[in-house]
Amino acid sequence: MKVLVVDDSLTMRRILRNVLLEMGITDVEEAGDGEEAVAKTARGAYDLALMDWNMPKMLGLDALVAIRARGDKVPIIMVTTEAEKKRVLEALQAGANNYVIKPFDKAQLVAKIRQVTGLG
Amino acid sequence: MDVRFINPFVESVLAFFDKMMGIQVERRAPGLAREATRPAEITGLIGIGGPIRGAVALGFPAGTALALASKMTGVESKVVDDATCDAVAEAVNIVAGGAKAKLVTEDQTPANLSLPSVVRGGDYAVVHPKGSIWIEIPFYSDIGPFTVRVTLESGPVGGGR
Repeated sequence: MKVLVVDDSLTMRRILRNVLLEMGITDVEEAGDGEEAVAKTARGAYDLALMDWNMPKMLGLDALVAIRARGDKVPIIMVTTEAEKKRVLEALQAGANNYVIKPFDKAQLVAKIRQVTGLG
Repeated sequence: MDVRFINPFVESVLAFFDKMMGIQVERRAPGLAREATRPAEITGLIGIGGPIRGAVALGFPAGTALALASKMTGVESKVVDDATCDAVAEAVNIVAGGAKAKLVTEDQTPANLSLPSVVRGGDYAVVHPKGSIWIEIPFYSDIGPFTVRVTLESGPVGGGR
């Protein structure tokens, strides 16, 4: 399984990478903003993307819209501090497969990753 | 300052440290923060704007900050460096972000957050502008002590002072 972790914080990318490692997922790539995420998903096939919302250059939501606009169905979980209901709805309507609010419970994140990837 | 604004930060600290990072924390009694001539060695700070305005600061002794950075990144931090500061910035970002959803006015207008910033080194003084009230909440944890300081006001700009 190949996963793209998208967050402008190096620390947050490390946290998410470690959660994936604990799940046995070692093929992990990183992007520091939405633009990089759009470019990387265009070049390579991923089985999952974990996407922050607030990032420089391009917001995670805009990256999500761009990725879906070209027909890419890679499962995307938004992982963000944006907790308002209208934000959650906005992301789900734009094609996010699930939504995790920071600070998150690790077990909850793992469950959502398993759900959207079909890991069981 | 409306003390109802304190609970969202306490809840967010507990969610971040305990549920997300697996660090046991214990809250001590909050009180009015005094102006500090020996402030925390590493402080992460975020400004809050909109109908509810103010700031939140997480202050760490170096040992706690290093242990937190190690826990967050999975790589042992031995000296305070950019990685430590990035971890503290992300910690205050997550804590403030977690509290933000509950910082709404009666018409449900949400607060806005600034980008986080980090101050390091103990050779500075913290001075509170006249009329501002900072609440300090001390925490003890598996990785050492730290404090959360919050100042907030609501209503029209310039009101409540």
